[in-house]
Amino acid sequence: MIYLYAITDRPEVAIPALPGLEDAPLISLAYRDVAAVASRGAGSGVSTALSSPEAVNVWRHEAIVEALMPDRTVLPVRFGTVLPDEAALRSMLKDRYSSFVANLKRVCGRVELSVQVLWDSDSRPLTAGRAKNINDQCSAIGGRAYMLARLSEEQLERAWRRRAETLVVEIRRPLEHMAADSVCQVLVTPRLLLKAAYLVAREQMKNFRKEINNLSLAYPELRFLCTGPWPAYNFVTDRKADQSGD
Amino acid sequence: MTERTTKEKEIVLLDLLDRILDKGVILWGDITISVADVDLVYVGLKLLLTSIEKAEMMRRRANELAQADSAPLIEREPGS
Repeated sequence: MIYLYAITDRPEVAIPALPGLEDAPLISLAYRDVAAVASRGAGSGVSTALSSPEAVNVWRHEAIVEALMPDRTVLPVRFGTVLPDEAALRSMLKDRYSSFVANLKRVCGRVELSVQVLWDSDSRPLTAGRAKNINDQCSAIGGRAYMLARLSEEQLERAWRRRAETLVVEIRRPLEHMAADSVCQVLVTPRLLLKAAYLVAREQMKNFRKEINNLSLAYPELRFLCTGPWPAYNFVTDRKADQSGD
Repeated sequence: MTERTTKEKEIVLLDLLDRILDKGVILWGDITISVADVDLVYVGLKLLLTSIEKAEMMRRRANELAQADSAPLIEREPGS
């Protein structure tokens, strides 16, 4: 069984001497100008590692992906990806060759930075508790008062969401200028105002962090969490269509 | 290596889990793995569900952490 860590360019470059999952040695299998970095394992051994995605295994996978990054462009593979044998791995490389090449071109010289922005969830007007209060208070004074109270709450909720969207636009604007691409989610939870990932050129990383600091100063009511650099997990698009293979 | 607080490490681990369990090159669904006549794709999906459950647990933990303290700007080092 083969456990897969990453797809890379420059198959001619030697892979780092790091142990893989279950301490198995790393191998590189090339197809044209791309390579798959993997390790062999007894079926049961790899399955054991996969069935326990503990921090140590997750970090081992990540450490290998990151160790590849200084010398080549890397597409990180999702944790827990196994193939039955080298023939299957070679076949997969051939089938997805065009997609891999396109993705490698997209992320070349770039890294992923994560930005999360937290705000005060208590500012949300329509919480479950408040809605219950409306129900309790208005049951005594009739349907019209109830509907008016609910309308008022809904308007406050809409205003709260508009405020969130405005803030997100303001936060994202300076960051977008420094990124080749980005993905973002707004209000994943009431407290998590923005969850975003940016694909940034290595030489722009310092400026990007500086801008996060500037934003922290400009919006003291918000809390900014920035982590990275990461391999470009969020910017690998997995299209199997439109592939020639050979 | 820079000294890191446990909270910072947990936040970084959470960010890693968010990516490594759900993003990147994804092959599931395309490849059927059979060892000794046992279809391991089924096993793989089951394992993935386990992983997501674990990630959700970590996410909840990180939200608690995020509410507890001031916001750090975390510069990662490989494998940290």
